[in-house]
Amino acid sequence: MIRINDFSYRYRGSNVDTLQNINLEINKGEFVLLTGPSGCGKSTLALALAGFLFSQSEGVYQGVITIAGLDPGQEPIYQLADQVGLVQQNPENQFCTLMVEDEIAFGLENRRIPREEIEQRLTWSLEAASASHLRDRELISLSGGEKQKIALAAILAARPRVIIFDEPTSNLDPPATGEIFDIILDLQRTTSLTVLVIEHKLDFLNRAGPRLIEMSPDGSILLNPSEKEELDFSPPEYKPAVGSSLLEVDDLTLAYDGRTVLSDVGFNLVPGELVSLLGGNGSGKSSLLLSVMNLIRRDRGLIRVLGQDLDQYDSKSLGRIIGLVFQNPDHQIFAGSVWEEAVMAPKNFQLDPDDYQDRANFLLGKMGLGGRIDDHPYRLSYGEKRRLNLVSVLTSQPRILLLDEIFIGQDKKNAHFLLQLLIDYVEEGNAVVMVNHNPFYYSRVCTRLMFLKDGGLALDQPMREGLIALRDLGQTAYLPGGEL
Amino acid sequence: MKARLAYQAGSSLIHRLHPLIKMAWLILLTGLVFLFQGPGFSLVVAVALLVSFPLIGKKLTELRGFRILLLTAGLICVLQIVFMNSGEVMLQSGAWRITREGLARGLYLGARFLDVILLSYLFVLTTSPGELAYALMQAGLSYRFGFTFVTALRMIPLFEEEAMIVYRAQQVRGVSYQKKSPAEFWRNIQAFLLPLLISAMSKVEALSISMEGRCYGRYKTRTFYKVRETTRIDWLAGVALALVGAAAVMIKIWEG
Repeated sequence: MIRINDFSYRYRGSNVDTLQNINLEINKGEFVLLTGPSGCGKSTLALALAGFLFSQSEGVYQGVITIAGLDPGQEPIYQLADQVGLVQQNPENQFCTLMVEDEIAFGLENRRIPREEIEQRLTWSLEAASASHLRDRELISLSGGEKQKIALAAILAARPRVIIFDEPTSNLDPPATGEIFDIILDLQRTTSLTVLVIEHKLDFLNRAGPRLIEMSPDGSILLNPSEKEELDFSPPEYKPAVGSSLLEVDDLTLAYDGRTVLSDVGFNLVPGELVSLLGGNGSGKSSLLLSVMNLIRRDRGLIRVLGQDLDQYDSKSLGRIIGLVFQNPDHQIFAGSVWEEAVMAPKNFQLDPDDYQDRANFLLGKMGLGGRIDDHPYRLSYGEKRRLNLVSVLTSQPRILLLDEIFIGQDKKNAHFLLQLLIDYVEEGNAVVMVNHNPFYYSRVCTRLMFLKDGGLALDQPMREGLIALRDLGQTAYLPGGEL
Repeated sequence: MKARLAYQAGSSLIHRLHPLIKMAWLILLTGLVFLFQGPGFSLVVAVALLVSFPLIGKKLTELRGFRILLLTAGLICVLQIVFMNSGEVMLQSGAWRITREGLARGLYLGARFLDVILLSYLFVLTTSPGELAYALMQAGLSYRFGFTFVTALRMIPLFEEEAMIVYRAQQVRGVSYQKKSPAEFWRNIQAFLLPLLISAMSKVEALSISMEGRCYGRYKTRTFYKVRETTRIDWLAGVALALVGAAAVMIKIWEG
């Protein structure tokens, strides 16, 4: 179904090949799982197979790709689109309409398919994506997982022979991730579709016994994928939340648009804690982090930072004590060079330059960015940007770090590197609260687990006990490998 | 809570009208309040509009900016009454006087202002922009224009949300827009816009892949799954529209 011979690709303006001498054959109906470090060219390969690489980028390529008998480098996209469907990472960015039915019908209407046939395909594709109940909804009202189901149904409706998923669950919580993976596996079992999934989360899909292919950092295919992921460092020790607190939250309640977002949330955070904050999309995790930073007004509740009422801090003095890293690296890059980005916060906080410059140099070196200080931050890879985001808050030496999904899109090496950094940070007497959906990481590294459900703190326990309690609550999607 | 100036789903008669008929009424009535330059017609339209808001399930006091709208209309009216001195005097006190023409002009301009704004408000609150775009495309508008409008509608809330995230991300890193020199303020604004620009570019790329991958632009025309059927109410509203339009033309011809 797919044959790639000696294929290399170099983007315009780059002096290295993003894809190097790739040879790969995928048979009809095969289920292939493609993994590899961030920036290794997985998405570029997906774009090449679906033909977009040749129509949208002016790069140079060598070699031949054949997919369903077509050459993506030569055929118009609409010819290929009848054979190959690509489901991208963020469904939000790929919707063209406002309603679920319109979105699924969109590709069929463009193909001038009659209404009666559109009706049949729409019903079938919604069923295949377990989304029939969403048929009359507005896209904006859907959750992340529901949106991804609709993006999948929209591709399925065209009845392609090959379907490529480019990290389809990267923005989803564990239950939604499980649902999407179940749908993919079901499709693969019940149709003759050839399925290629690009993913970092291998645990779940591995159970279906796919053919696993790994790409190396230089953009070539590794024939012998590396062994199961293991961590080669020790997690910090569990610290009971007693004694002098860095952060105290009591009876925190918040509502917008008449909907309760946080209800009666309370907890203490002491030095040395590495807390995993879990919960589904929309459970109130981001609102909790923003409330602690006083970026959204709470309706009720007391928050104390280093023993002082939150409202007595202005935003600058609070920013010196609490560092917040947002989910999307591109939303928090403001300076023209890596160095300026790293020292922007301490400069704004008017800290001593001798002090923060040394620290910035040290952290950039430690993060592997020492040789890039004059580069524009937008020239960094995704993983490098994420590390720069972290450096840019650590240079002000905050006592508390709030991290919103910093592991999305990180390969094993980068993720391990960041985890080690966080362990070192809490062992210096600081504390971290991190939102993260990878059970493998939080179950092994975090000391404590907090689980938000419908805006309430349903669980707040040491990690081991917390995982057992999660299982008892029936939240098995949050357990490592789906079990304890 | 104040209603946003955006479509609010509902099932009122006005909600159920065909979007194109509603648009035609909007255009016709807006044209007529400019064509008939006396207070009578504009006041009738203003009263009709004020009555129609409760019919779509919105109290007038719930409309965002309604007080400012009333105040502005009142101000326009008063200014005309005070400063238009020519014509038959109705009331005089020293050099200050109210004339019949000034009063008529004031009432007309104040009511016309209300009419234009409230008509647009009523149209926007009761018409799904998506349905309007699809109706326009089915009526012959090139689908390339139609989907430019639809995708823009999709992106607006996303950009609003992102702008708020970027602003907050700046705040936590000590960026302040207060008490800054113009140069510093401009630097902060540039830093604010850069992430939004980068995000917009990546969204455009993802969207163009999505559209091309679903054969957008393959043919000059396309089929439509949902076709808005014309109901009896639409026909009645259409006939009424034609009658009002024809009557207006005849009155103008008769007036010479």
